[in-house]
Amino acid sequence: MDRRTFLTGLLLSTALPLLPAFAAGPEVYDVTPDLIAAAKTEGVVVFYTSLDVAAAEKLAAAFEQKYPGVKVKVERSGSERVFQRIGQEYGSNIRNVDVAETSDAVHFAIFKKNGWLTQFQPAEVSKLWPENARDKDGAYAAFRAHLSVIAYNTKQVKAEEAPKSFADLLLPKWKGRMVKAHPGYSGTIMTGTHALLPVLGWEYFQKLGQQRVMQVQSSTEPPKKLAQGERSIEADGNEYNVFMLKESGAPIEVVYATEGTPITIGNAAIFKNAPHPNAAKLLYAFIFSKDAQQLNSDVGGLRSFHPGVVEKPERTPLSKIKLLYSDPEKLINEVETIKKKYEEYFGT
Amino acid sequence: MMSTRAGLSVPAIKVSVDWSKPLFAALAALLVALVLLPLSWLIFYAITDDTAKLTLSNFAGLVSDPTLRRPFVIAIGMSLGVGALSCLFATPLAWLVSRTDMPGRSIIRAFVTASFVTPPFLGAIAWEILAAPNSGVLNAIYRWMFDLDPYEHLFDIYTIEGLVFAISCYTFPYVFTLVSNALDRVPSDLEEASAIQGAPLFTTLRRITIPLVMPALLAGTLVAILQALTMFGSPAILALPAGFHVITTKIWSLFQYPAKPHLAAAISVPLLMFAVLLIWTQKKILGRRGYTTLGAKSGAPRLIALGRWTWLAWGFAGALLLLTVILPYLALIETALTRTVGQRLTFDSFTLHHFHFVFFEFSATSLAMRNTFLLGVMTATLGTAIALVTAYIASRNVVKGGWILGYLATVPIAIPGIVLGVGLFLAYSNSFVPLYGTLWILLIAFLTIEMPAAYQQFSSAFKSVHVELEEASRILGATRMTALRTITAPILRSNAVATWCFIFIGTIRELSAMILLTTADTKLVSVIIYDLNESGDLGAISVLGLMLLIVSFAIITVANRLPVFGGAKLISLRG
Amino acid sequence: MSFLELSGLSKRYGPLTVVNNVSLSVERGHVVCLLGPSGCGKTTTLRMIAGFADPNDGEIRVDGKVISAPSGSLPPERRNMSMIFQSYALWPHMTVRENVAYGLQLRKLDKRKIQELVDNILATAKLSNLAERYPGELSGGQQQRVSLARALVVEPNILLLDEPLSNLDSNLREEMRFEIRRLHDQYRYTTIYVTHDQAEAMTTADVVVIMNGGSVEQVGSPEDIYERPISEFVARFMGGSNILRGRALDHRTVDCGGVKLVCANEAPQKDDQVAVSIRQHTITIATQRPEEPTNWAEGVVVRNVYLGANRDYVIELASGERIRVVTSTSSPVENGRTVWCHLPPEHCRILTS
Repeated sequence: MDRRTFLTGLLLSTALPLLPAFAAGPEVYDVTPDLIAAAKTEGVVVFYTSLDVAAAEKLAAAFEQKYPGVKVKVERSGSERVFQRIGQEYGSNIRNVDVAETSDAVHFAIFKKNGWLTQFQPAEVSKLWPENARDKDGAYAAFRAHLSVIAYNTKQVKAEEAPKSFADLLLPKWKGRMVKAHPGYSGTIMTGTHALLPVLGWEYFQKLGQQRVMQVQSSTEPPKKLAQGERSIEADGNEYNVFMLKESGAPIEVVYATEGTPITIGNAAIFKNAPHPNAAKLLYAFIFSKDAQQLNSDVGGLRSFHPGVVEKPERTPLSKIKLLYSDPEKLINEVETIKKKYEEYFGT
Repeated sequence: MMSTRAGLSVPAIKVSVDWSKPLFAALAALLVALVLLPLSWLIFYAITDDTAKLTLSNFAGLVSDPTLRRPFVIAIGMSLGVGALSCLFATPLAWLVSRTDMPGRSIIRAFVTASFVTPPFLGAIAWEILAAPNSGVLNAIYRWMFDLDPYEHLFDIYTIEGLVFAISCYTFPYVFTLVSNALDRVPSDLEEASAIQGAPLFTTLRRITIPLVMPALLAGTLVAILQALTMFGSPAILALPAGFHVITTKIWSLFQYPAKPHLAAAISVPLLMFAVLLIWTQKKILGRRGYTTLGAKSGAPRLIALGRWTWLAWGFAGALLLLTVILPYLALIETALTRTVGQRLTFDSFTLHHFHFVFFEFSATSLAMRNTFLLGVMTATLGTAIALVTAYIASRNVVKGGWILGYLATVPIAIPGIVLGVGLFLAYSNSFVPLYGTLWILLIAFLTIEMPAAYQQFSSAFKSVHVELEEASRILGATRMTALRTITAPILRSNAVATWCFIFIGTIRELSAMILLTTADTKLVSVIIYDLNESGDLGAISVLGLMLLIVSFAIITVANRLPVFGGAKLISLRG
Repeated sequence: MSFLELSGLSKRYGPLTVVNNVSLSVERGHVVCLLGPSGCGKTTTLRMIAGFADPNDGEIRVDGKVISAPSGSLPPERRNMSMIFQSYALWPHMTVRENVAYGLQLRKLDKRKIQELVDNILATAKLSNLAERYPGELSGGQQQRVSLARALVVEPNILLLDEPLSNLDSNLREEMRFEIRRLHDQYRYTTIYVTHDQAEAMTTADVVVIMNGGSVEQVGSPEDIYERPISEFVARFMGGSNILRGRALDHRTVDCGGVKLVCANEAPQKDDQVAVSIRQHTITIATQRPEEPTNWAEGVVVRNVYLGANRDYVIELASGERIRVVTSTSSPVENGRTVWCHLPPEHCRILTS
């Protein structure tokens, strides 16, 4: 899901339009019988997503069951591919997408900047979602979230010896024993690095760079390196991969660092030139409903901002974790610096 | 058209339209599009900025920015290392196989072919499984044997030495092929003349044999260096965890968000120039007078009796094959059949889980297999046809300047895959030619990449087909195309089949250009292997990798059994 | 109007002129031999006739119609010609029968007709029992005959032969010369034959064309060329002649180093420097000083070799020049003897140089 970012600058440069005027504030809407009827006459809605295949198909099936007569066409691929495909389609004046979601918050900041999004916001979102999980203008909202966490191999590291904080990772005993994903290739890690910088500063990364950290690209990979026993500790990586590996029996445990844990928000939005505008609004409202959000948590190990979602008992609830947010609109301008500095300290 | 033919029983010839000229024009246009278009876009991007203004700032960055400069230094050092190690691997082995009576020489040749067919990125992954410092199988055995603490290790593949080794395992066949072909052609009497004057074996070897095959050795080493310099898969898999970039991985990283196509284009230019320089040097060496005069084969070369040295020879050959082929393959097989990496394969740990995952759960597999197979067949078929006709035009100088076509067809050999990927992306992702995201752009890329080897196959084959054979057909009433179809192509059919197989195997293992050009709908097996490595699914990778290898070996076996094939032709066709 | 006409034909490759202003007329049914040393342009001329090369200047006409000209040429496949190549160019992937039938198949004849024509020509070429063999399984002479059969079976308007015998050993070559002539007499195709071998040209040609440096030196019957060479080059190339240099005293008499020779033809101009050729076997030797010195040359025998059928002398003349004389074997003259050689006026020819 969290995939390498790819060729996007170019696509955007071909598609960069004039900055549009934006009305302040979202257009909040409810699911009315009129909307359902209008959606049924359209009959179909196109959903670009980077969810797991299984989760995406279950979501679509649940929607079709609730609103018979409206079919969901699921176009699933990696986050960056979804992002890039939309950029490419809009660049070539192809209007195919109704609703899209990716795991990288930056994408939607860019879509919004390009003026490609509507300002519709389901009532449920404006009521229940925390402010930092929805766009103030209603252009997008957090469909899902996941954390980038420290974790360790329980066979190689005893619980009491395990690091409790990012500062602990700088201890000499972890030299050569850590694995870490790369902000240049992973949106999650880019977001995480951006969120950590105000707390830890570049000094921390500079020191971490001297710990002979094994560098991998994707944020899905460090948990797997832990499970294999190739390294004992991950400095960052997807929380949901740790969950899944743990549930399948791997000796691996999550640490929520005392300094805080970066959260990566995956947004969803309706596109302005959606070919099925009503069906789009219907689907958009549905994916934020409790049922849909519960599905995300159960099937994908993802976090939800819906207060009604019940998480599996063995998982620490989001409310108990100190979260570190990154503002995607600020991040856009920081990406370059982060990559540069990172290469300076880590060699790649 | 001519005089009355009264009294004759055979009517005058009526010739249908000669399509050759329009076809040739189309072909020229195609080759220009294949080769020049992406290169022009590459150059254009390299010398412009985001607003399409001319600038040299992209190149200035190459000089001033250490994060751009360092990858060049590392890549060159790594390539030289690969060149040297390939030489060390290949030269003694080639000599043993070509000039001594060591038993099992054909088995060794078969293993070298296996190493050649193995995609280097797959080898790199196999070596991750074997020699990762902690989870690596060899290190685990080492710790178990000496009862050592965790984190003690013998090998670390995530180092520049490890990378050089992992690449050399799959580049040494280039040196081997050239050197062993050259050794096969060294007339025995040259060596005998030395031996008869009382020179001992090693003196003859040093003074006569090695100097004679030196051009081939150098040329092969340059090919290995070029391969290493332009390789993407292995460095991407091994260099990143080790904490350094080479040129190709740096180019790749420049395409991550926010993409810097201008800088990527600029950094590609020196890589392109290195490649051109290497090819040019190689051509110079091989084209030198004296080397070609070795061609005449004066009887079978004299085989040297190894006697009691046989065991040493086999020790060397065995160790080499163990390292390059047997161990990596065993690692892949074990990983494919056990649940977690590094688990010993026993009756209990045996599982088909990964096979089930790859073939029934993983949604990308069937699509990627279909794409890979489809593109393999299309590229091989089209590529063989285009190479045949191009070689025909160029070597027969059918139209004025036909040689230019031949030159164009060989140019891509100097274009590193990733550079071609950049060029093709720039050329075909704009709104004028929106091929990006379709299989067409992959087909174009494959055709371009495979064209030089295919063309050279046919070009040297045409030299062995006397031009009078075609003229004899034309004077009897065949158009150029009829002559090509009925005379030349059938005579070259064994070359055609060999070229087809060669291209097919080449396409299914190609990664470096494809990595920039595939999208979710146009995945290839090689790319999903790379993607899976990114997410650490080594079991699935092993299954897919073994599948690729099985298909490749099946094709080689079938091709070698075809009646048109003479013995070990496939082995000799690469170089 | 002749059947095949070459007029002012030139071919250049870069700065090199390979064929220079060649004009030639060939009558229907004749065998014309282009004869000359390698590099004289004969093969290029043949290839222009075949359509494999285009002229830079001049044109080629068949039956009055232009088939080759700098502005454009008919491709070889439309010329209804056949060609026999130096390498025979038999297709290795086809049997003898398939090789021979190829041209007929291109002419879209029906199968039975093809079978019949092929059988006929194979019988004529004495190849019937080899029909199913591949070229690789045949001897050189057999390959040559297949090549002939393949060329003749399509009944070409013009048959072209490019050094067809140069790859055969000498016995076979002699046999094939007569074979080619025999087949020609049977089918009477207009034939252009390229060779560098004088004997081959002599036995096969109706007309011999001597080429030198891209130009035509002399055109004539074999006898003309042999007996009456017009240039020093032709005389030397045909062999068997002595060439003496001298100064024309009048239109018929040449002074060659003190020896006065009355010749059969006329010198262009008095006082010109000219050469005189005289065939070796037309010279007679006397051991006594002749009464009338004109056309007699005094010299000393430096070498004499017995060759069975005749005797070959090398005689050094007073001027220091050496000539060769071929006589009957009777009455040998030993080395060192002074002799007088008679160079009969009817055999002395003044050459342009």
